[in-house]
Order: sequence, then C-alpha cells, then structure tokens
Amino acid sequence: MTDRASSAVPPSATCAITAHGMCESRLSTIPALRDGAVPAGAPALPPRFLRHCDEHTVVGLRAVLEAIAATPSVANDLPQHGVIGAPCQAGRLVTARSLIQMRQDGPVAISTHIVPQCSLHSLAGAVSVALGMHGPHLGVGGGPDAFAEGLMTAVSIVHAAGGAASLPAVWIVATEWDEEPSLDAAGQAVNDPVCRGLALLVDASGLGEVTLDVHGPSAALSRPVAARRRSSPLVDVARAVSSCRTGGSSVTCHISAPWPLEVTIAHRTPASQSTPRWEAA
Amino acid sequence: MTPSSASSPRPGSSTRRDRVVVTGVGVVSPLGHSFPAVADALLAGRSGIRAIDPGPYGRAARQFAAPVECLPDVPASCGIDATALADFDRLARVCLAPAADALADARLTGALRPDGARIGLVLGLGAEHLKAWELDFLGGGTRVLEPRRDPTLVRRLAALLGLDGPAVTVAAACGSSGYALAVARAWLDAGRVDACVAGGCDVLSPTTIAAFYNLRALSRRDDDPARASRPFDRDRDGFVIGEGGAFLVLERARDAASRCVAVRAELAGVGMSSDAVHMVIPNAEATQAARAITAAVADAGVAPDEIDYVNAHAAGTPVGDVAEAAAIRLALGAATDGVPVSSTKGMTGHLVSGAAAFEAVACLVALERQALPPTVNLDHPDEQCRLDHVAHVARPRRVDVAASNSFGFGGSNLCLVFRRAA
Repeated sequence: MTDRASSAVPPSATCAITAHGMCESRLSTIPALRDGAVPAGAPALPPRFLRHCDEHTVVGLRAVLEAIAATPSVANDLPQHGVIGAPCQAGRLVTARSLIQMRQDGPVAISTHIVPQCSLHSLAGAVSVALGMHGPHLGVGGGPDAFAEGLMTAVSIVHAAGGAASLPAVWIVATEWDEEPSLDAAGQAVNDPVCRGLALLVDASGLGEVTLDVHGPSAALSRPVAARRRSSPLVDVARAVSSCRTGGSSVTCHISAPWPLEVTIAHRTPASQSTPRWEAA
Repeated sequence: MTPSSASSPRPGSSTRRDRVVVTGVGVVSPLGHSFPAVADALLAGRSGIRAIDPGPYGRAARQFAAPVECLPDVPASCGIDATALADFDRLARVCLAPAADALADARLTGALRPDGARIGLVLGLGAEHLKAWELDFLGGGTRVLEPRRDPTLVRRLAALLGLDGPAVTVAAACGSSGYALAVARAWLDAGRVDACVAGGCDVLSPTTIAAFYNLRALSRRDDDPARASRPFDRDRDGFVIGEGGAFLVLERARDAASRCVAVRAELAGVGMSSDAVHMVIPNAEATQAARAITAAVADAGVAPDEIDYVNAHAAGTPVGDVAEAAAIRLALGAATDGVPVSSTKGMTGHLVSGAAAFEAVACLVALERQALPPTVNLDHPDEQCRLDHVAHVARPRRVDVAASNSFGFGGSNLCLVFRRAA
C-alpha cells in the first residue's frame, strides 16, 4: 500500500444470477403470509416456522420461495447455499411493542424471541434454517444502504469461495418498507406500508443467461447523486433481471451507498459468454 | 498498493495470491483497554465479572455481568474533535475507541496513512437498532415509534475515522465480529480495499439481559459472580453476559512490508457453516460446526496436529459446550488430545457481538506471549467435554498456529486460524 493506493480501475466481480424472486406485501396482509403456505413448486416450511418471525423475515423468505418456485432446479443445491440477509431496520415493530410492555410489566415481559428473531442476522438465519442451507449465513447492513452492502458482501464471499463445491452459490435477500411504519403510543401501526423483498441467487461462475456485475467502490466511479431516488433499487434490479431473462439489454443501476457502487445486470447470449471476469484495482 | 499485489484470486482458484496479516489491534473489555493489559489479565486468569446495579429494569435482584467500567479515550493521533461525539451513545463510544486504537497501532492515522489508501470498515454488530431504540426509549425518547431512517453506526464511525473505503455492518449473532474479519479478508482478496478495520463490540442493555435470562441462557449463580462463568465444567449453568470487543486492522502482507509496519499475525484460515436446525435452540449435533473448523484448518494449509491452541467459543451453556467439544474432536480427529483448548469467557463473560473479535485477540496473545490463557473455574471438567483443557492457570507453550471458534443463534459457525508472524 503505497501513496495513491487506489487505482483508476475499480474492482469488479461478475456473478451469474441463477434465480430471482420478489415479494411485496402490505403490513396488513403479512399475517396471511405467516400461515406457512408456499408458492407451488417451492419447498414446504417447518410447521409454524414464521410464527415469531419479524415482518422482514416473512417477506424476504417468501421472495426466496418465489425464486425457487420460478426456477425449481436450484432446489437441489439448497444444502450447499449461503445466505446474505440485508434488511433495512428490521425488528422495529416487535421491539416497540416489547419496550412498551417492559415499561408496564417489567423485564419478565421481554420475549425470548426478540434477540434471535429481531436482530440483523435473523432474516439470513431464518432462510438458512427454513430451507436447510449449510453455507454461511449473515445479516448485512441493517440501514438505508443495506442492499448495496449486501450485494458487495455477497459477491466478495462467493468469489472468495472461488466456486468451491462447499459454497457454489449465495442468496442475497434484501428487504425494505416503501415507507417506514408509523406507530402510535401503544406500538400499533397507523399506516399500512408495503414491505418489499428481493431474492437473488448468485454464483461465482459469471456464466449464465443473466449476470450481475458489482463494480466498485472506487474514486473512478462518480459519487452517488445526492437527490433521493423515487424508485426502489430492489424494484429496479428485479425489473432489470426480469428484462434480461427475456433477452432485454443490459441495465446499469447506481445503488445508493456512501461509496460509489455500480451494478450492471446483463443478458448474455451463449456466444458472448467467456471466461469469468475478475478484475481488481 | 503495488501492482503485483493488486491481483486477486480468480474464481475456481484455490491459490491465495497474498497473505492477509494483522497490523493493528484495539480492544475494550472488562479486563482492560489495551493489548498488553488484556494479555496480562488473560494470562493471570483474572476475572472481569462482578455484581452490577440491576437498575429499574433489572431481571434479577442480584445481577452480575462483565461490564466495561471506564471507557477509554480515543487516541489523539486520530484527530477526532470531541464535539463530534455529541450524538454518540454508549454503544458508539465503545466501538469508536478500539477501532481508532487499531488504526493507530497499524500506523494508519494522520500523516502516516498512505495518500489515497482505501481503508474499509466492517463492523460486526447484531442488534444495533434494537439497542439504539432501547437506549432512546428508556431515556424517554420515541424514536422506535417514528418512521425515520437514521444513518447506521458504521457510517458514523467511518466518517469520524476518515475512512474512504466501503463500510458495512455484518451480523451473525454471537459470531458477528468474527464474520467481520472474514468479510474484511474477502475484500482484501478481491482488491476492494487496501486495508480494513474489522471487528465489533457490544454493550449491556436491559432488554438483552432480560431476553437471555428469560431464555434461561444466563447463569443464575449469583452468590459468587467471579465463579459463575464455568465453561466446560460439569456444574456450569449458563453464560455470564459481558460487554466490549475488539477491532483488528487487516492488510495484505506485501502492503504491510512496503509500509514497514509490524505484523502481529497472519489471518491464515477462515471456515464458515450453518447448522440450519433452529433459530433459538442450540444444536447438539456437531457436524456443521466441525465442518467450519475443518474448512478453516484446510484454508490455512495446516494439519490438525499443527494447531497449537484452540480458543473455544464455550460460553458455559449445558448443550453448547458439549457440542463444541464434539465438533473439535470430529474436526481434529486423532490430533485432538494433543491440542490445548481454553475458553476465555470464564474471565470475560460472553461479549455477544464482540466476543469473536475479542477471542481473536486472545489468540494473538497466545501467539505473541507463547502462553495459553486458561479456562478459569474449571474445577470439574465435564466428561462429555473431554479435551486437553488449559484449566485454572496459563500454560507456557510454543504457539505457531492458533484457532478461534465462534458460534451463534440460528446455527452460525465460524472458525478463524491465525499464524504467528514470521
């Protein structure tokens, strides 16, 4: 590491997106998702598995199930998969109710589920447990930039594994509210926002119909525009993947993060597939 | 960064291009806030566990824990204006000091930092929001009720420390800060950073204490706090919660050499796996935990009988300690009986998110001092945890390779292998 350590060329990693799924649910309809019914073609969940789960976990896991239902072949490799869960402010509703209860009834009111089910790792842990994934699982982000943080961590981990049989692919499961729930003094929501979850299964091969390039961070990329985007990066990426699956052209998204990060979703024809790209500054 | 060190492993390649080494350490703990102080305390078998004021939300009338009693100052070389800390709560302050110390130890502060160096930050922290909401709420605030999205702690820390590289929070329950080290190493391999501050800390809070107490995970041996945490002992009855943690600075060996900075150790191996059994109940079955240990040992390129010390996760829970002993035996096979094992949680309690990074520091202590920290309170080793225990007192030993296990809620398994600096 000498002076001017950063190169002009941003580090880049290419992954193949082998499955993707999305789930959107209003807060008021999330209880219906807890009943354990799964999309046709997706694996069944353990009984009452979602009973104590946070809303982000319910929606994120549903997005994974939608992805598996749409691409059933990936189910065969689930035991080898890893999971990166990237929720934005998970656990707030349960935490609010718990704190209000603790003020009334003392610490005996604190649920034994609050730490395992309402922490940053909970979404990834639930996906791992529900679907029997033995690769590493970890929560990433937790705040407004969770998706970007999750993407970069996932591609780093899957590439560090180098496509080894022990970790052939990693799920990135990102969740967010379209607007944060507003809670009254009793901890009940007074609005009915949409919780959104996106699940992408990525492998390190870079070979596939749809690829994901995560480019950066680097000073060579421009800083993100300060103005807030009106659309959700989860929706942008989901649309780009869907479009590329049907032969659409490449889409580059600038994902919100304090450090410059560019994500390109591309459709690859068989002729354009080549050696996986792996560049670094 | 030199051009030759810029390249990184190609997918499918098992050959690492450059070793990743530890060049800086910062620690805040119940045993002290500097590497020498912690090393002395660990090797002396000193306990940081004591009775604490349970406060209005205490779960038990007589409560005990391993608190950080006096927060350390941030090194002056970091140039941090004290007024910038006005909105830093206790958790933020507990994280800031060791992260800054690690940077200073690695000579990456002020004018010593290479111009344009991309220094990343990976914060291992499982319940940042829960604790921030709780602290605010118990102080009369209403943030938990409001539809707001505040900047995360890792953003504020990176800004305050002047780190230009990527900064993320990672969480794997009690393995969080160890996973931070694993992610940092992956970033270095990928060329995404030139150096990375990684680790994590945690703080005590009424909600966390109550949740673990209600789960019956905490020891209830309140008559003698210093003897309550009893990893691997047949009379163990749960863990003692603590606070603190550590941060390490990792960088590629070649970069460390070019900066002429002292190398404390090499992070030679990482192994990770998931039990995928239950979100709350510890897994009594050892296969996946053993898989993480085996993977880390293989990644480090050493044989099981070359491991000189294992710092066990062993928190003193009835199921967890037995499962870990079985995992160590399964992973190390015939070499097991020749590999000394200890758990430092008998002295520090369980630092939760900060535990894995702190216990990585315990491995660095073993490598640097050539002595193994003991498992205190191990009066009657559990027959089901049969290992070469370093009981009661430190054991002098040649230590070239040390491994640290960390396990967490949801069945998260991690093993880190450190090699002595050449």
